[in-house]
Amino acid sequence: MTREDRYEQAGKTAVMQNVHGTISFLLAYPPFNQMEHAHLAWLVEHAQLRFYAAGEHILDPQDGPVEQFFIVKQGLIRGERLLAGQQETDTTFEISTGECFPLAALLGERETRTLHLAGEDTFCFTISRADFVSLFRRSLPFRDFALRGVSSLLDQVNLQAQQQASESLGSHYSLDTGLAELTDRKPVTCELDTPIRAAVRLMHEASVGSIVITDAAQRPLGIFTLRDLRGLIADAATDLEQPISQVMTANPSHLPSCATAFDAAIAMTSKHIAHICLVDNGRLTGVVSERDLFSLQRVDLVHIARTLREAPNLETLIALRSGIRRLVDSMLAHGASSTQVTRIITLLNDHSVCRVIELCLQQEGDPGIEFSWLCFGSEGRQEQTLHTDQDNGILFTCHDNSATEQTRQRLLPLAKRINQALADCGFTLCKGNIMAGNPELCLSAPEWAERFGRIINSTTPKNLLASSIYFDFRVVWGDAGAAERMFQSVLKRIAGNSLFQHQMAQNALMHRPPIGRLREFILARSGSEKDTLDLKVQGLGPFVDGARLLALANGIANSNTLVRLQALREAGVIEPLDADAYVEAYHFIQLTRMQQHQQQDRDGRALSNRIDPDSLNHLDRRILRESFRQAKRLQASIALRYNL
Amino acid sequence: MNPLQWLNKRRHDSLTQEQRQRCEQLPNSQALDGTELKDTRLVVVDLETSGLNVHRDLILSVGAVVIEDQCVDLGSQYECTLYRENHQVTESILIHGIAPSAIAQGVDAADALLDFMTFSGECVFVAFHAAFDQRMLLRGLRLDLGYKLRHKFLDVAEIAPMLYPEANLPKGSLDEWQAYFGLLNSQRHNAAADALATAEIMLILLSRARTSGIRTLGELNGKLRHWRRLRQARIGSI
Repeated sequence: MTREDRYEQAGKTAVMQNVHGTISFLLAYPPFNQMEHAHLAWLVEHAQLRFYAAGEHILDPQDGPVEQFFIVKQGLIRGERLLAGQQETDTTFEISTGECFPLAALLGERETRTLHLAGEDTFCFTISRADFVSLFRRSLPFRDFALRGVSSLLDQVNLQAQQQASESLGSHYSLDTGLAELTDRKPVTCELDTPIRAAVRLMHEASVGSIVITDAAQRPLGIFTLRDLRGLIADAATDLEQPISQVMTANPSHLPSCATAFDAAIAMTSKHIAHICLVDNGRLTGVVSERDLFSLQRVDLVHIARTLREAPNLETLIALRSGIRRLVDSMLAHGASSTQVTRIITLLNDHSVCRVIELCLQQEGDPGIEFSWLCFGSEGRQEQTLHTDQDNGILFTCHDNSATEQTRQRLLPLAKRINQALADCGFTLCKGNIMAGNPELCLSAPEWAERFGRIINSTTPKNLLASSIYFDFRVVWGDAGAAERMFQSVLKRIAGNSLFQHQMAQNALMHRPPIGRLREFILARSGSEKDTLDLKVQGLGPFVDGARLLALANGIANSNTLVRLQALREAGVIEPLDADAYVEAYHFIQLTRMQQHQQQDRDGRALSNRIDPDSLNHLDRRILRESFRQAKRLQASIALRYNL
Repeated sequence: MNPLQWLNKRRHDSLTQEQRQRCEQLPNSQALDGTELKDTRLVVVDLETSGLNVHRDLILSVGAVVIEDQCVDLGSQYECTLYRENHQVTESILIHGIAPSAIAQGVDAADALLDFMTFSGECVFVAFHAAFDQRMLLRGLRLDLGYKLRHKFLDVAEIAPMLYPEANLPKGSLDEWQAYFGLLNSQRHNAAADALATAEIMLILLSRARTSGIRTLGELNGKLRHWRRLRQARIGSI
């Protein structure tokens, strides 16, 4: 061994021992956990270790193009931006152990836009820009990560959830699978004048459950299914030689082939059908049947929805409702997003409510009064989880003012009966008695308008609380027209009442997201809730309250938080980037909450919104913290807007 | 045969021509002068020895990391296990954990020390309880190379309590200081890892020195002398 070799060897031994420790540190964090070992070793050998005392500036927009890439070894980095018209800087992000920065500035060969300073005493590994570029070229996972930035963290969480699901369930596709992938066979078709018998023969030969009737240009005109055939055979008088056009279902429902399995399931569920045509550019390209949605059939979505809607009596309905828990469980396992799950729960709850009302009408006898069933709060926002209580009311039509009270008295027994039936189905009775059976919530359209008017004009704390419930409202059953007209006038009154808006803004700032300046999370300090935080009140609350305030103030009638945020984005009230960040953050908190509910349900524990962040894995905890910070930013923008 | 011959036998008598040449070419030491701390090459060194007796025990392994421009370059570190004839296994193996087989495979002591001194270059050494490392190295270099070590040593065990009196750790150990600064270190007790741990503390101390207005080696040395006197006086007054 020559001297140079030996010298190099001694260096290598040292590097290998310390490098090894550094590598095992990095392996705990993305993207390093996906990188090749050789690339990691190369990274560490080219790294320096630096220390920054709390408050020290690390990157400054005035420093010129960024020359180094940083990985936090321990400590906390804060990104601060000076907002126009504000004295204090706004912390736009926080970077903690295992995270790296800056990505955009390095890739763009420019200075950072944000002042990076050490939030506490911090050690960072750094590599030079040249080495960063070299690593960027060598390592694919590193390149992917750098290009996609932090948003890829969310992708990774979703990917992880789906991978786990497919491992445990053996399913190889998810709710997001494109419909084109689910149908590989050419659709069986015939023409309008094909006799029924001939059409059925075609179906039999291809052994399919449906046939699509098309014109010469392959445009779908109608569909005929085995279910239709059953009905035909049951009727002895049917002539099987008559053209199929006489018995087909015209204008079949259709989706583009790029739609997802989830879209198809929703369409089937809400329209009570088992087949959907795939149509691209007006031409039929395939048919998706209920059976094709293999994984969904296992989750029983379509089946549950149909049987809920057709339940012959309350007992059956109650029994069916227990299937919803299982359904949500497997949907989450199949990688459904929180929106998808809330949509399904809302859909199934709506079906249940409608069926309950119909069954009660059958039993009690129809009072012959036109009314619609309203729901408020989370049900009104279409944001229900398994943990749901009733917030509902009735709006009835009464043309004669003097008969209003009498009409109400006739409706109340029915309303009470419906409330009780819903309770039997698992919709917990409302502790605050916000239920249709309460005479104060069984009102005619003018009475509702007056009630809303009172809430707006006299801002007592009680009314403010009421506003957070009643202004998230939606018609579940019955004609929606009267209620919507009434609400439009309410919106106008809010837009013109800045005092009310101001009070609502104060209300929206009441629950602060549980993150601190120094610590990761602010947790309850004592009692049974020690070391936990409330995902609903502290996490989702700021988004729900903020979106409601801004939506109502800007004449947006929809009550769903995400739709509100979207509408505010389009109306230019919220910056597009901010709106997207809020939506993403909201999704994540909601998903975390649902996963917790499912787990609690499986363990037979009471459902709770309180979570111990330490029970989450590192990545989830990090994203949760980031999500809370977005909530904080939304509150800050409201405070600025309303001068609070 | 002179029965006392072994007393005079210095190992460096058997140096090869090449080793002698290298020894003569070793760089000078860095004085504790007006050189700014940020421009100083600081070599954080940690020695594993066959025991704690500076008159008898031998250096078994040398670990070092470099602080330059206020940062530790992870790509430039040094660790070497030295070959020792008739190495006796003592209880200190429990501390340094260097197996006799590793010693047997070690690099010839003269070569290893030459390599180390070349690696260190014109530097100031930094160590935790530097007096021990200084005396071990001083004796090792004299015995194995016939080389007189003139390099200066800075002692983290002194600078830390001087700059962080609020820690109230006047005689803190490396572990205690690590705990005080909340440093997480996985694999301690090989020479390189100990050196890195010491270097991390030194980075913190350099940062504190900067904010306290200590800019140069000379200023740091002056403060240290003053602090030592104060401490002596305080101990005397008690």
